[in-house]
Amino acid sequence: MNAPDDEMIETLLRREFEGPVPDDGFSERVMRRLPPRRRRWPLWSGALLGAVACALCLADAPWLQAGWRDWRAGELSPPLLGTWLLMLAVAWLAAAWGLADRAER
Amino acid sequence: MTDSAAEARIDHALATRARLDGDRQAFEHLVRRHQGMVRAQLRKLLRDDDAAADDLAQETFVLAWRKLDQFRGEARFSTWLHRIAYTCFLQSRRSPARHAAAEAMETLEAPAQRIDLQLDIERGMRRLSAAEQAVLLHCAQLGLSHEEAAYVLAMPLGTVKTHALRGKAKLKTWLAGWRDPAALEETP
Repeated sequence: MNAPDDEMIETLLRREFEGPVPDDGFSERVMRRLPPRRRRWPLWSGALLGAVACALCLADAPWLQAGWRDWRAGELSPPLLGTWLLMLAVAWLAAAWGLADRAER
Repeated sequence: MTDSAAEARIDHALATRARLDGDRQAFEHLVRRHQGMVRAQLRKLLRDDDAAADDLAQETFVLAWRKLDQFRGEARFSTWLHRIAYTCFLQSRRSPARHAAAEAMETLEAPAQRIDLQLDIERGMRRLSAAEQAVLLHCAQLGLSHEEAAYVLAMPLGTVKTHALRGKAKLKTWLAGWRDPAALEETP
């Protein structure tokens, strides 16, 4: 017998592979385990509505207006720091929510 | 159109139905069409530990169901599934219980005597590095192209080709003894 070549090695490897496994109820077991599929639009609609409501509520807040004014004027003031902290907190919460949601999926 | 392209189109259509309409029946078709190869892939990776492989296969399909939104059709659905299955396998190796089981399988004693060439190729596969085994399993046994194997294993294409070449070269060297039947009898 000659030393095996590439083609023979591949043939032997293919022969060593038993092929697809018969179903034997596997698919049914998988289907029973599937969670309900979540729709994305209610989540994003809720998030959007919440953001709009939040913006409307905060629009008249004096400290926020002062912070915005100082930001445009380039003055570092307590209201501006508060505004930045609020923005940071909201961004952090949104990122955490997004990551948790992605991990869950 | 080739059979393989037709199959890929059917898979794509079923996956689209499952993704957009939440159609469980479409997904069930996909499970039935691919469970055999996904389970075979995992059984090979887990060294024929059928129960653990089936657990991982279930996990694979549940994950595929959850991540259907991420299937864009840039790879065949079957290749995408193999990639999820391989990721599940890697993650399972990180958990201590399953990892211990996998290690135990790796240290199993090989048969004392060579019985035939087929048995030797099986033993040879076990002597290859993990990456070479994974590449040869996906390319030579599951029938994926080098590009598809690179996608499944998350390896650069060049690395896949190198592992395939090296793996086959090692197997050829180890099986070279088959040239001389007398040498075979002497080697345990």
